Amino acid sequence: MQNKQAKKPYLQTIIFGAVSLTLYIYLFRNEKLVMDTFTLGGWYTVLPIGTAFLFSFIHGAFASNMLTSLGLEAKKK
Amino acid sequence: MKKLLIVLITALFLLPLASSAFAAGGAGPDKDLLKGVFLQVDAASHTAVFKRDAVDQTITYNLGSKMKAQDLPLNKKVMVSLDKEAGEGVIKDVDRMFLDMNFKNILSLIIVGFVGGLLSGFIGSGGAFVLTPAMMTLGVPGAVAVASNMCHKFPKAMVGTYKRWKYGQVDLKLAAVMSVTAIIGVQIGIQVQKAILHAWGNAGSNLYVSTVFVIILVLVGGYVFFDAKKLAKGADVSGNQTSKLALAMQRINLPPMMHFKVAKVKISAWITIPVGLATGMLAATIAVGGFIGVPGMIYVIGASAMVASATELGIAFVMGAWGSIQWGLSGLIDIRLALLLLSASLIGVQLGALGTTYVKDYIIKMVMASVMLIVAVSRGFLVPGYLGDVGLRAPIDPATAALFSQISFWSLVTALFTSSGIIIVAMISGMTKSRREERLVAKEVINNG
Repeated sequence: MQNKQAKKPYLQTIIFGAVSLTLYIYLFRNEKLVMDTFTLGGWYTVLPIGTAFLFSFIHGAFASNMLTSLGLEAKKK
Repeated sequence: MKKLLIVLITALFLLPLASSAFAAGGAGPDKDLLKGVFLQVDAASHTAVFKRDAVDQTITYNLGSKMKAQDLPLNKKVMVSLDKEAGEGVIKDVDRMFLDMNFKNILSLIIVGFVGGLLSGFIGSGGAFVLTPAMMTLGVPGAVAVASNMCHKFPKAMVGTYKRWKYGQVDLKLAAVMSVTAIIGVQIGIQVQKAILHAWGNAGSNLYVSTVFVIILVLVGGYVFFDAKKLAKGADVSGNQTSKLALAMQRINLPPMMHFKVAKVKISAWITIPVGLATGMLAATIAVGGFIGVPGMIYVIGASAMVASATELGIAFVMGAWGSIQWGLSGLIDIRLALLLLSASLIGVQLGALGTTYVKDYIIKMVMASVMLIVAVSRGFLVPGYLGDVGLRAPIDPATAALFSQISFWSLVTALFTSSGIIIVAMISGMTKSRREERLVAKEVINNG
């Protein structure tokens, strides 16, 4: 119980959060280029699908660590 | 058993070759849609010069009789549908493909994304039924809204599945069988849609979709609601009871038999496959297969609401990824929309997933039922208009029609917020109770030690 505080993944939350935010800013800064190439269809489909996967790993990891840091965890059986 | 799965997966990958990979409906856009930019408009001759994506030469099209030359956006990416009945090269409709992002749009996407994610993590599906109309209200064309929604759905479902799998709630085998059969079901559903479109036109098709929506949601949602109410009052403390129908189905000993370990069910493939097919057919019709998939897994196959809703997330992942590829091939995904939705829904989905560990099984059923019933009401308000369109009743006046469509949209929003309210309240009370218990245990340990 006592060492629960120490286990909280604050560092991971910050790192994944920073990477995720950078990716978001990077993508929206290059909005025009992204929208022009991502919507060409055919093999270019890899771009939107791959991006969705990448963001779900990075941003998903951030979200997971954030919830744990906030003390929101699944019930222990 | 593995053989059957291999056969199903092979069938799955051969199907798009046999039918068209770009079929209309749930699995891809219309073939008659052209994407590109208008370079020049000539108001005098009522024509416009169009440059199609990935094609070097330009084409000059005639504008349809209802179109105004000044309404055409120049040098912006557009979707053009041609009017085949008016002759060669006549434009029927032009849609701006990608909306400009402003603060209001971004904020709306983030909020709906979060609530949709929460619901998804908790009941396995959700959000999709409100995200598409919500995006369309912001000004996104229908096809782009469906495509971007799909592209946001599969990563969200993937993260949600992973979480709930960690909690031991996902039956991966059941998810695999259900998703493969559901994708086949989608193909069948599309053919049915096409036949209806061919026979009764667009109005008939709208009427069919809404009628199916309302009937299924009222029947299934009503049943789930009464079941949840019974369980809430009943003696069964765990709130988990296998339905009589499922018990009867499990007694049918028709090989090949399938054993689903997490769901703790042994049942004939002849029962499982139709449930998957029905899920897919419904997904092709109303875009939310989970409304039949989850109740199907609970009441026909005999899984608990916990396992069924978790497994549905796995199905949503496979179907969403498959659908995204179909839409992506036509270049209709607006990745900005998908990512903005994801920014909050990835948090929501994990919160919803951990929420399930604090609640009893019947709460999941209760949330599911309320969502289904409110969505049914929402869709019901559109039926009078469609009945008017096919001539089965006098056409309703435009003011009433506008009011009905407003009611329809806002009841969807209500469905989303009511259900997330129930989830959050249930989760907080579950967490408080569990913390109190933990503290009591700790105290006892101290006292006894």
